Amino acid sequence: MSASNTGSARITRWVLFGLLVLYTIYNLGPILWLVISSLKSRADLFAMPPKLVFTPDFSGYQSVFGIGAAKDSAASIGVFRSLITSVLVSTIGTSVAVMLGTLAGYVCSRFDFRGKGDFMFFVLSTRMLPPVAVLVFYHMMFAQLGLADTRIGLILIAVFINVGLATWIMKGFFDGVPREVEQIAIVNGYSRMYAFRKLVLPMVKGGIAATAGFCFIFSWNEYAFASILTTTKAQTLPVKISTASGATGIEWTQICAAGVVLIVPVLIFFWLIRKHLLMGMTFGVLGRK
Amino acid sequence: MSAMLELKGVTKAYKGKQALRGIDLSVEDGEILALLGPTGAGKSSTLLTSAGLVEPDRGTVHLAGRDVTEAEASSRDVAVVFEGFNLLPVLNVRDNIAFALRSPKYREAEAEIATRVSRTAELLRIGHLLDRDTGTLSGGEKQRVSIARALVRRPKLYLLDEPLSALDLKLREGLRAELRQIHREHGTTMLYATHDYHGAIAIADRIAIINDGRVLQTGRVDDIYARPADAFVGRLIGSPSMAFFEAEISGGGVTVPGWESPLDLARFGVTRAQGPVTLGLWPEDIELGDLGHEGRIYALDNRGYEAAVQIETQAGMFRKVLEGGPVPVQGETIRFRPKQGAGFLFDRITGALVSHQEGR
Repeated sequence: MSASNTGSARITRWVLFGLLVLYTIYNLGPILWLVISSLKSRADLFAMPPKLVFTPDFSGYQSVFGIGAAKDSAASIGVFRSLITSVLVSTIGTSVAVMLGTLAGYVCSRFDFRGKGDFMFFVLSTRMLPPVAVLVFYHMMFAQLGLADTRIGLILIAVFINVGLATWIMKGFFDGVPREVEQIAIVNGYSRMYAFRKLVLPMVKGGIAATAGFCFIFSWNEYAFASILTTTKAQTLPVKISTASGATGIEWTQICAAGVVLIVPVLIFFWLIRKHLLMGMTFGVLGRK
Repeated sequence: MSAMLELKGVTKAYKGKQALRGIDLSVEDGEILALLGPTGAGKSSTLLTSAGLVEPDRGTVHLAGRDVTEAEASSRDVAVVFEGFNLLPVLNVRDNIAFALRSPKYREAEAEIATRVSRTAELLRIGHLLDRDTGTLSGGEKQRVSIARALVRRPKLYLLDEPLSALDLKLREGLRAELRQIHREHGTTMLYATHDYHGAIAIADRIAIINDGRVLQTGRVDDIYARPADAFVGRLIGSPSMAFFEAEISGGGVTVPGWESPLDLARFGVTRAQGPVTLGLWPEDIELGDLGHEGRIYALDNRGYEAAVQIETQAGMFRKVLEGGPVPVQGETIRFRPKQGAGFLFDRITGALVSHQEGR
């Protein structure tokens, strides 16, 4: 009896294990393929059957990072400039959005004001908005304001798409900080501003990190706005990759290298904020009350 | 003596929910006043309003004779020990205690801070914890540090919100004695909120009983025993608390269902002639024995040196502690009667005292 039980349990375990292996291949396969392709020369890339053993060709990465001979070659599709644009837009956009979101989140957590519920909903609704619905109008507005195809314009977009979410997540973290923290400060002769800066902010450090991680990833991956609002000068990396072609046709090696470069910051950020991830995803509701 | 803190007609509603419905309260200079009431009675709101952390909707707050109703909390010179969260996690124990002494408002020289912190820590026996992180402290240690932070200063008024309720019995009794000792030495003025009757009588000079956003009665515990202003007061005071019986005033007497003869109305000093009332008796004023009205032992808690019994009667249930004598058995029928002249009558609906009205 017990022997057959352990027998069927073992079978179940192996089946589950097999399914997990398949699922892993399904998920990691394309990424592995991408990484391998980014290291192949044009000739190796199109070889049939696909080569598993080949001499690595780093020209793709050289042109992405703007180093070596490859960057000036006729085949270069200018991914380096896009990389710089993406880094600038994502970091500045994230910094501004997190700063605004932190201040707004604190106010929404601690103070009651008329229309607070509507305000909070409006803020969140900016996050639910399908970009495609308003793209045309943004395009016209940006053209009028001279923001079309500029990095400044994209930074504004990055702030816009992130500040709402940042406000909500930070409100959750502030809700987890007992009100007594400020009360203790005030009763003992300090100002609320002191309490906010020196006592409350250090308590939500992790929350700020998590929020920044989310915002960075969202703006790093943002495609819809960037694709419509830029043409040549201010293309971000995702837009560049999707439209890239050089004088000699589609440069797959460069595109694959750029794809790998696109993935790495996301991995790094998730690794850095992994401890705060669950907290951030649940909007801090696990904190207190 | 003059009033250190005086609240007059203070009301406060949170999002339409009325927490304080007109608090009148006065804490004399140099006394400990216990604010005794159940959870949700308005104790914390009263303390926070006194501290200036909550703005009252109506009413006034006077501190040491000055109207501070509109004054900033940081200017009131009060110290607060909160009910739950007290220690700032970004500071260690020493800096938590010294916190107020480094503020723009109550700043002291660092040398003075060091002396005061170590002296206060000594007093509360937490000197060995000064360099620890607050996260590593036990509940009792945390509460000592909170109290130390309040005591390191000499404010006009200490506001303590259930400072000991989270601690186990032994710690609680120890800290209570220490607070009492500090009070005796320094003549501090304290408003001490608690839901624990034993804690209140152990520490306080006077007790204010609060329920549903109103102070029902303020006074020394013996005065409250002599004339409880409300049935609710009887429910909160005493161990066990007051025994209540459904009764009726009619024909010049007080009839209690199941009691053989009505009680003489004259002795109660009642101004009304008839109607339903509640008869309240302190358990100490009830004699068990061979005479009187019938009851049944509903529950029994034999503690060895004494036995607490719960007695079921036709008009209501009550509890009493029996010291010495034979211990009854559960289900046994016993007889009881009130002592001569004892008892209070309360309005059945409002709970207000309706007896003992002469000379008022």
